[in-house]
Amino acid sequence: MSIVPKETVEVIAQSIGITNLLPEAALMLAPDVEYRVREIMQEAIKCMRHSKRTTLTASDVDGALNLRNVEPIYGFASGAPFRFRKAIGHRDLFYTDDREVDFKEVIEAPLPKAPLDTEIVCHWLAIEGVQPAIPENAPLEVIRAPAENKPHEQKDGPLIDIRLPVKHVLSRELQLYFQKIAELAMSKSNSALFKEALVSLASDSGLHPLVPYFTNFIADEVSRGLNDFQLLFNLMHTVRSLLQNPHIHIEPYLHQLMPSVVTCLVSRKLGNRFADNHWELRDFTANLVAMICKRYGTVYITLQSRLTKTLINALLDPKKALTQHYGAIQGLAALGHNVVRLLIVPNLEPYLRLLEPELDDEKQKNQTKSYEAWRVYGALLRATGLCIHDRLKIFPPLPSPSPSFLHKGKGKIINTEPQKRKLSVDSSENRSPQKRLTTKDGPDGVQSQDHTGAALMEVDNPVENDKQPQNSAQPSSSEQTSDANESESRNGMVKESGRGRAITMKAILDQIWKDDLDSGRLLVKLHELYGDKILPFIPSTEMSVFL
Amino acid sequence: MDPEQINEFVVGYLKKKGFSSAAKDLEDFHHQNNGSSLSPIDYHNDPELTKLIRSFSQQEDDPTRYRECYSKLRSWAYNSLDLYKHELLRVMYPVFIHCYMDLVGKGHTQEARAFFNSFRKDHEMVHLRDLQKLEGVLAPSHLEEMEFARSLRKSKVNIKICQYSYDLLLQYLHRTESTLMLGIINEHINFQVYSGQPTSSSDDIEAVTIVGSFQDTANHINQKEIQWGLLEDSLEDRLEKTGGLLSDSEKGQGESKDDADDSKKRSTETGKQGSSIKKLKKDKAGNATAKVARLETSTVPPTPRVKPELALPVMSTDVEQSILEDLRNRVQLSSVAMPSVSFYTFVNTHNGLNCASISHDGSLVAGGFSDSSIKVWDMAKIGQTGSGALQGENDTNDPTIAPNGRRNYTLLLGHSGPVYSATFSPPGDFVLSSSADTTIRLWSTQLNANLVCYKGHNYPVWDVQFSPFGHYFASCSHDRTARIWSMDRIQPLRIMAGHLSDVDCVQWHPNCNYIATGSSDKTVRLWDVQTGECVRIFIGHRSMVLSLAMSPDGRYMSSGDEDGTIMMWDLSTARCITPLMGHNSCVWSLAYSGEGSLLASGSADCTVKLWDVTSSTKSTKAEEKNVSSNRLRSLRTFPTKSTPVHALRFSRRNLLFAAGAISKPAS
Repeated sequence: MSIVPKETVEVIAQSIGITNLLPEAALMLAPDVEYRVREIMQEAIKCMRHSKRTTLTASDVDGALNLRNVEPIYGFASGAPFRFRKAIGHRDLFYTDDREVDFKEVIEAPLPKAPLDTEIVCHWLAIEGVQPAIPENAPLEVIRAPAENKPHEQKDGPLIDIRLPVKHVLSRELQLYFQKIAELAMSKSNSALFKEALVSLASDSGLHPLVPYFTNFIADEVSRGLNDFQLLFNLMHTVRSLLQNPHIHIEPYLHQLMPSVVTCLVSRKLGNRFADNHWELRDFTANLVAMICKRYGTVYITLQSRLTKTLINALLDPKKALTQHYGAIQGLAALGHNVVRLLIVPNLEPYLRLLEPELDDEKQKNQTKSYEAWRVYGALLRATGLCIHDRLKIFPPLPSPSPSFLHKGKGKIINTEPQKRKLSVDSSENRSPQKRLTTKDGPDGVQSQDHTGAALMEVDNPVENDKQPQNSAQPSSSEQTSDANESESRNGMVKESGRGRAITMKAILDQIWKDDLDSGRLLVKLHELYGDKILPFIPSTEMSVFL
Repeated sequence: MDPEQINEFVVGYLKKKGFSSAAKDLEDFHHQNNGSSLSPIDYHNDPELTKLIRSFSQQEDDPTRYRECYSKLRSWAYNSLDLYKHELLRVMYPVFIHCYMDLVGKGHTQEARAFFNSFRKDHEMVHLRDLQKLEGVLAPSHLEEMEFARSLRKSKVNIKICQYSYDLLLQYLHRTESTLMLGIINEHINFQVYSGQPTSSSDDIEAVTIVGSFQDTANHINQKEIQWGLLEDSLEDRLEKTGGLLSDSEKGQGESKDDADDSKKRSTETGKQGSSIKKLKKDKAGNATAKVARLETSTVPPTPRVKPELALPVMSTDVEQSILEDLRNRVQLSSVAMPSVSFYTFVNTHNGLNCASISHDGSLVAGGFSDSSIKVWDMAKIGQTGSGALQGENDTNDPTIAPNGRRNYTLLLGHSGPVYSATFSPPGDFVLSSSADTTIRLWSTQLNANLVCYKGHNYPVWDVQFSPFGHYFASCSHDRTARIWSMDRIQPLRIMAGHLSDVDCVQWHPNCNYIATGSSDKTVRLWDVQTGECVRIFIGHRSMVLSLAMSPDGRYMSSGDEDGTIMMWDLSTARCITPLMGHNSCVWSLAYSGEGSLLASGSADCTVKLWDVTSSTKSTKAEEKNVSSNRLRSLRTFPTKSTPVHALRFSRRNLLFAAGAISKPAS
């Protein structure tokens, strides 16, 4: 039957004054009422569509009634939606809330604000197919919601993604393993078992899930156990083992690990007993740091620079304890000779001046202090000594493969004295630009392209020997080489082939001259500072040159 | 069974059916042969026959039988073989609505409603809107009154069905002796049986559309020849010619400038054809009939050219020159070169904006409001005062009112009902508006005044459109007609009648010889302007057609409907190339780019979409058979800030303008 019940028809009939409506008539009328209402709605929807709207309003119904030549229903403005209220006591009877309005109120009410006039604003919805991000356009998040959500999640991911799965994945065995290792590290004993554990840590595969736990554990324990020397040592051993393990990808955790390691290197106090050999710990840690730098320096470009900055700051701060200085020196020394040369050597003189009073037994009564000072001095000496040793070692002429020439050279140069040498350094420095010029002017002068290195030296040395008498202040081998080059160019031994190689060769030679000059000066300087203590570091051949 | 009883049945049946003489004869015959046992037809002993007779004698107008039979047929169809199921299910819908209408027609309102509600779900997906209409039919008188129902009752539905499905259906109907269903099927369905395998269910759109009586006529009408080619003397042609000149010789540029002043010079340059064009132009100015004598042979461009059937207005050389200049500077758009879209947002419309229109150069914007007013903005001026509003610097809330407080638009008052449509003449000097007050008014944008009021429609005029060359315009109305007018006459020149419901939108073909109309009867029709005849019926939409656009080459047409479907039609075959799905609300506006490679659509779902239409047209050429499988690509979607897109317009330089009223997000 019709959705309009016959009661509705009866009610409407009553409301317009028809009291004697037959029930049959109401029954007949109900379907027709429904049909007419549907008809009106259909027309109203048409009006709505032509008004380019998607919500039906009272004016649309009025329009539809107009279309059907029916008088529109007055009094319904297209405003807020009507509130239908339920008639109390009747389940299906609704009425609209029609308040009585007092005229006085309406008249006395202030005029409403005039509505804003219609305007047009213009903007670019798209420029050549791309929507500009301007406030007039829909926000980009809305546009690319599906596309952009994913990267966001991924960005947020790492913290959650790594920790949560690890937490869940961690098997019972791994948990036990971790507990055991932690126990052993905490046990403060250097037992055989712990050594075994370290070996296991350094070699076992499948420990990767534990890495975050170990880093956390180490960081916590180091910060807590600065007074416990053995613990610290054990922890550093653990770190070393972790670093050694080829199956562990420790890189993401380095940032957590490094502070603890550096602490063990330059902390003021490590261990609380006098017997604690914290020097050993510092040495060990210095090696550890060097190892990390060597391995991950390429990945974390800033790693080494940050580290050296920390260390050099510790070293150059006179307020810091000598133990800290020691750690810093050891750390820097472990990082390589270049670091020593660049960072320690320039500061060596002022630092030694600072250290001098501490070294003097008479001035420094405190035994411990004095001892520490001597340790620092020793460390410095070792660092710089190794540095100079290394430098002298890498330079070619003297350890050249032809011992016969070497001996010749040795025989001659052995007479050179340091003071003289110093002078020669100055002179050679003055001359060096000129020499460089020579090589630059004539790449043909660098004929070495078709000589092997050894052959070059073979040629060089005789020349050197020849020239030595003329220019006795010729201290360094590379200068000799260049002279040799010059002489060779003078000799007209020009080879045109392989220019490219010649150019690289030239660059290398340039560098070598410079370095060699530096190392020459360095050696002199060190000798000045350390006296004869530096001598053991000079290789015998060099020593012979030097002396 | 007792023979006497059978005799009674037969006689009763005959009497009831009104064959009184036959019944009488039979009775007489029985009386005569009372004694003898001989009977001419041994129906007493034939079990088949008795059964048949019994089924006939059952109470015919028992309303519950409809339900029974229909549900039986339904369950049978649903349990049929998968391969043939969709074809059999296709039969169900006409059976369903006719069962319902039979029940209503016999006065069983309650049963009809119950029947309708119980099976409504089956057909809702495809035929929702029809069902909504039919739902209200509750009395025999409604059937008479409602045109849709009447046309359904009168006409037969064509259903394509494969031989096997057809046999299956007949077998079933005979086996179960469901004469009721058989009757309905015989009466209202016209089977087109074909041999071979059943077709796939998705591609046959016509199969699911019941279009009243005109299915056959539509097929007939669509056989007519239409010439969708562009006009012979179009500006594009001229551009091509001048372009050819340019490439031939460097001095072409200068010439094309010269020809504004002295067109004869160019006509000598371009040769015979140019001179004929020039002559024609002059002829047109004087005597329209002279154009018949035009040379047909000269046109050999890729698209065929046709003669204008209307006397077209003369275009002033200035205007022509500026258009040519625009065409020369047109940006070539393609799937990789997207247009820029400039959006005009109406603010503070208070829900009153019924329509928006943008002039061909994008400088004028008109809005028609439900308070009967029309407001015209000159965006060029606003751009000056508003310090580069085109650059999008203006804040949405920033009022662009001139400092002296006066409004910066032109208010055109004259209508006495909501304004449903407005359109600019191609040069932008006139505005036409149509309103619920059944009139069309012509306004001058220079005088800012009403010039003419065209009365002719009897009901609200839903849409009005200027022809591509101006002077003529077409309107369409709730009175189910579309009309062609010229500016200088207050009576319509042609009345196009034929749609079964409101004509909701109208669009001119680029060659001005045809207009297309979209209607609430879910069809689009193409009409010959000269004869006023319907030349094409496009069937396929499932709801009211709201917007139309013609491709610039005149070959294709797109139509957008209430559900958000856009269909692209080939005018010559009257077939849908492919439906474009993507919008989820009414498509208010469609526009082709200048060279026809892109289609822009604006919708109530607050987006502008760009569609690549070149790929589809190419592939249709390549593989005519496989049309349904290839889809037009949706290239881009530009969401607006809760602004339904009312109007779209590609300028001649291929800048896309869009307009819409910002609506407060429902909260």
